Amino acid sequence: MNAAGTIRRGFVQRMRRCAMLAIGLIAVSGPLGFAGAQDLAVVSQQGARVSRIAAGAVTAALAVTASPAVVAADASGRLYISHPDGHAITVVAPDGSARHLPFAGQAFGLAVEPDGRAIYVGDWSGNRVVRIAPSDGAVEGEVAVGRDPAHLTLGEDGRLYVAERESRSVGVIDTRRMVRVAALSVGDGPFALAYDPIRRRLYVANVRSNDMTVIDTAGGRILATVPAGPSPYGVAISADGARIVVTDQHAASVSVIDADALSITATVPVGKYPEGVVIRGDRAYVANWFSDDIAIVDLTSLTTVGRIPVAEGPRSIVAVPPAAAASTLAGRATPGIAR
Amino acid sequence: MRRTVPALLFVLAAGAALAHGPTPQKVDQTVTIHASPDAVWKVVGPFGGIGAWHPDVAKVEATGGDAEGGVRKVTLKKGGTLVEGLDEWKGPEHTYSYRMSDPDLKALPVSSYSATLTVTPDGDGSKVEWMGRFYRGDTGNEPPEELSDAAGREAMNRYFADGLKGLKAKVEGGATQ
Repeated sequence: MNAAGTIRRGFVQRMRRCAMLAIGLIAVSGPLGFAGAQDLAVVSQQGARVSRIAAGAVTAALAVTASPAVVAADASGRLYISHPDGHAITVVAPDGSARHLPFAGQAFGLAVEPDGRAIYVGDWSGNRVVRIAPSDGAVEGEVAVGRDPAHLTLGEDGRLYVAERESRSVGVIDTRRMVRVAALSVGDGPFALAYDPIRRRLYVANVRSNDMTVIDTAGGRILATVPAGPSPYGVAISADGARIVVTDQHAASVSVIDADALSITATVPVGKYPEGVVIRGDRAYVANWFSDDIAIVDLTSLTTVGRIPVAEGPRSIVAVPPAAAASTLAGRATPGIAR
Repeated sequence: MRRTVPALLFVLAAGAALAHGPTPQKVDQTVTIHASPDAVWKVVGPFGGIGAWHPDVAKVEATGGDAEGGVRKVTLKKGGTLVEGLDEWKGPEHTYSYRMSDPDLKALPVSSYSATLTVTPDGDGSKVEWMGRFYRGDTGNEPPEELSDAAGREAMNRYFADGLKGLKAKVEGGATQ
């Protein structure tokens, strides 16, 4: 074995030991343990917690290794969490048990096949997307992308989209071959993505140009650029695809955008430095990074109707399908989920 | 381990040139001032007027006025320059938000930040909150100590705290309520 291989093997062993020590269940309530009926998972970066939210309250919080960033879910309710400074991905099973997968890079953006058979990881400073095995983190393939890959999201036909933040582009990856088959020029600082399978559109939040690019994914072209608020940092779509919610990080608000008119219909105040957002029914749940809570925005009255305190620094939020209904949800788990 | 040397150099170069990394940090400082919010805002509100109250500032060049797109180029007494652009300036609400995108590690050991300054009533006086979000100076995986999260937190909190102390002294010294 060569030197690099030895180092890598040592690294993997270190990570596995780390996983045994670093993960502990903080609090669990309710008969379903860590899983619950159709609920949400929130990752707090400074607080190093993943919290489960159901019926407007935190039902469980799990301690994870330092500085978790992005959370994604598969159709069985399993959670995947990236650690940019920790060379790792945490996988949390519906029963709350967790394990670490090693990642030799700066893991940030995550996407997972609904059936959990592959994990795609954006390596922020490595300018690549890596497909790893859910069992042990083994690298199954990788592809060079634009600079500073931020969020990732899966589309249809094996397509994976990558927000290439410092290249002002969205990369399109054919996951079957792990080849970057196209790149589309978008606004300045593309960061968050959401895919709408109904209209076959990709929405891209551009942090620096304060707008949202709308991509027709079937035609592979830019449909529109919609002005948003200051520093759009998160984006989510309603289940019917009619409404898009973009977080305005520098304005402590969200912009509600009509998918047909492609213009802002309302601006709703939330907490400070909102980032991740997800929509369930007629409510948007917004992770307020600075305020350490989740704002519940009623999309009918267009007001914030509640705030749920969570551990410090919530950034990423995802809807979690109930484990029991995994097979029926597998085909429609994407709408509204901001990966 | 020879491989890590060019990799590290690349990361340092990228960290200086690129604006953001994946682990944001908070800065949050407040001060109470014995003066009305209007009197405080008169001093702190003008975006290009930071030189009049921040003790660490040597010189300011401002363009674009107090509106979205306004820019101030702040040169510090210890050296280094911060180029900051307004995202939002709301006079009646006594608040403005701005961001710095091109780092000057000599001025502050951070690669980017955004911040908001707000004046609110507090009893007979005012409360000024200056808070923000930033990324460490080296956004790679193994930052040197002087460009770490901790170094960034210390420098940003000190810069904001120094500023608010200076603001308090300036307003209370010459308050005309």
